[in-house]
Amino acid sequence: MRSNTAAVQTAQPPQPHKPQSLYRKKSHKSDIVLRVVIYTATVITVAALIGIIGYILWNGVPHITWSFLSSAYSETRESMKGILPMIINTLYIVVITLLISAPIGISAAIYLTQYAKQGKLVRAIRFTTEVLSGIPSIIFGLFGYTVFCILFRLQTSIIAGCLTMAICVLPTIIRTTEEALLAVPGSYKEGALALGAGKFRVIMGIVLPCAMPGVLTAVILAMGRIVGESAALLFTSGLSYNMPNGFFSQIMSSGRTLTLHLYQTAREAASPDALSIAFATASVLLIFIFILNRLASLLSKVLKKG
Amino acid sequence: MGISMSDLTAQKRLEKVNLIKRIIAMVLGAGSVVMFFLPYAQFVFKDTKYVTSGLDLLIASGFRVETGTVSALVGIPVLIRIAAVAGAVFALAGAVLIFFKRPVLSGLSFVLSAVTPLVVLLSTAGIQADVTALNISNVTVGYMAPFVYVLAAGLACAVLALSTQGVEKLARAIFLTFACVSIAAVLTITVYIFSAGIPAMAQIGVFRFLFGTTWDASTEQFGILPLILASICGTAGAIVIGVPIGILTAVFLTEIAKPKVAKIIHPAIELLAGIPSVVYGFFGMLVIVPAIRAVFPGKTIGDSLLAAIIILAIMVIPTIVNVTENALRAVPKSYREASLGLGATPIKTIFKVTIPAARSGILSGVILGVGRAIGETMAVIMVAGNVANMPTLLGTTRFLTTGIAMEMSYASGLHRQALFAIGLVLFIFIMIVNISFTVISRKGAKVNA
Repeated sequence: MRSNTAAVQTAQPPQPHKPQSLYRKKSHKSDIVLRVVIYTATVITVAALIGIIGYILWNGVPHITWSFLSSAYSETRESMKGILPMIINTLYIVVITLLISAPIGISAAIYLTQYAKQGKLVRAIRFTTEVLSGIPSIIFGLFGYTVFCILFRLQTSIIAGCLTMAICVLPTIIRTTEEALLAVPGSYKEGALALGAGKFRVIMGIVLPCAMPGVLTAVILAMGRIVGESAALLFTSGLSYNMPNGFFSQIMSSGRTLTLHLYQTAREAASPDALSIAFATASVLLIFIFILNRLASLLSKVLKKG
Repeated sequence: MGISMSDLTAQKRLEKVNLIKRIIAMVLGAGSVVMFFLPYAQFVFKDTKYVTSGLDLLIASGFRVETGTVSALVGIPVLIRIAAVAGAVFALAGAVLIFFKRPVLSGLSFVLSAVTPLVVLLSTAGIQADVTALNISNVTVGYMAPFVYVLAAGLACAVLALSTQGVEKLARAIFLTFACVSIAAVLTITVYIFSAGIPAMAQIGVFRFLFGTTWDASTEQFGILPLILASICGTAGAIVIGVPIGILTAVFLTEIAKPKVAKIIHPAIELLAGIPSVVYGFFGMLVIVPAIRAVFPGKTIGDSLLAAIIILAIMVIPTIVNVTENALRAVPKSYREASLGLGATPIKTIFKVTIPAARSGILSGVILGVGRAIGETMAVIMVAGNVANMPTLLGTTRFLTTGIAMEMSYASGLHRQALFAIGLVLFIFIMIVNISFTVISRKGAKVNA
């Protein structure tokens, strides 16, 4: 396809006596214009990406020091501008959220792919999962705040944030796991069933292990979503930045994640010094996201090969 | 002979185990019935304290609350009354059903009895609303052991009852239950958003709320027309800029780029989709806002609808690229070959054949983009200026989403309820987007089939 157009572009102008080909008769100016437009659009997309990531990392990475990663934070004291509490809070939220939603999501995917027959119930499950993935995170935040913080009396706490996020990431986990389970060749299952294994055993012993890389991809994608989330956590897990002491006391109290820390420091930044904290936090976030992204695509490669 | 003998003993052992399971389930279920008569929940209104059993919740006419001069009867919501009885009734039904070896039905009714404490928990909000009208702010509700027992025993009995059917059916039931979590989540979210949003709308007046042009919490003027318009304009602007760029990028990746190039750009765009919205907002705040200020000196402070549009456009591009790419790849090769064979140039083929064939897929990508743009909060909050003005391109604006996020932390009373009502409006917008997405993608599936 490319060589054709190249030939056309460099061709001589048509001579009156020779028969013309159908192909040459067409005007190709519009083609060239459209081609330029397509290239421009791609360049804009790539430039936006490189611009954003480059700008943040360029300004942020130099400020990432060991003491920045390992010390506590205080708004008033100049010497305490670390992000350790935020990293710990983020980890808590990621782990607890996944402990809640991964079993639910994976089980739901198992039901949808291995047990369900087409029917009203299955259609309802699929539809609601789709709806859930379309609901904006601020609505989840509002819902989590009224239900978990007020109704269940959890106040603004990390656990309330986790419960909210668990609903948020459910569609991601269900859909990705479903894809992984569907990719397992039917013959594996049939072989095991023919040997007399029960359906539950086939799922646990054959289907799920075969789909493991895909299931892990689902979990990693969910992690990325949780690490990057902010609006749903703004009212549910709150903004306090105390240094955690003890797992249980921390998850019952408010704590800001890296994203919310970036939001808060960026809004309050008055001096270049304060801004550098925001830049460094944004860089740490981007690096986290980048690692998770790489892991997910590596795993999906493993799945394709397997 | 030997095989059938061991089969027989295995059978007998299984029956024995099942009998024990059934007996335990019956005992636990009977326990739930007894709990109906024990202290179930405790309500404390300022200095009056009520300890209520399930029976009390059913037959009492209400809580007599006295605050100095006023003495009023706070009613018990009907749902609480029903739930308190239902807990006992379903547990009893479960125990009876398991006695008559109906494990599935029994399991179901045990699950229902386990749900009832949650219904009570959720319904106490009604009491609080009533009491707030009496100017008592500090109502505390405590739940006692029977409350927890009904919940836990219900679930345990359900598992026991179903497990007498063998591990296969139990597993199936558990998987099914988890699969229904999304249904439950969507239902509760819908119910909550509506029940939290409607009171304020009713109090302010639907028309005054939706079409009022002033939002001022201090004078209790809650008109959200500027917010609605800002959200619509912002989304439309982002779509107008983002969609062509996204579609053309996808065209480049699927139709023009060499596989090597596509292999580099594709993951990069996936990365773009994964960048947290706060980071986009941060970038917008530091780069786009000053840039706008520099381009239009004196006319704008930079924080503007335009800045929001640009950031949102960048944010919807990855969504549109991904969906469009899939749609373009799904177009059969023969279409392209036929077009090329008829003498169309590659570019003509793309625009006259491939893109039209992928129309419905591309459209669903656009709708997903709309959903993402309407719902975006944090990136917008950092660049749009957040003043509830009627939207102008260079003026500060406040979106529906940012309206909620800005004031939620300190709002109270009608103001807070008005924020929930904004949530409701946003939710309805999103539902419209969602449902049109489902309809269109279903149509697309039909066409392709």
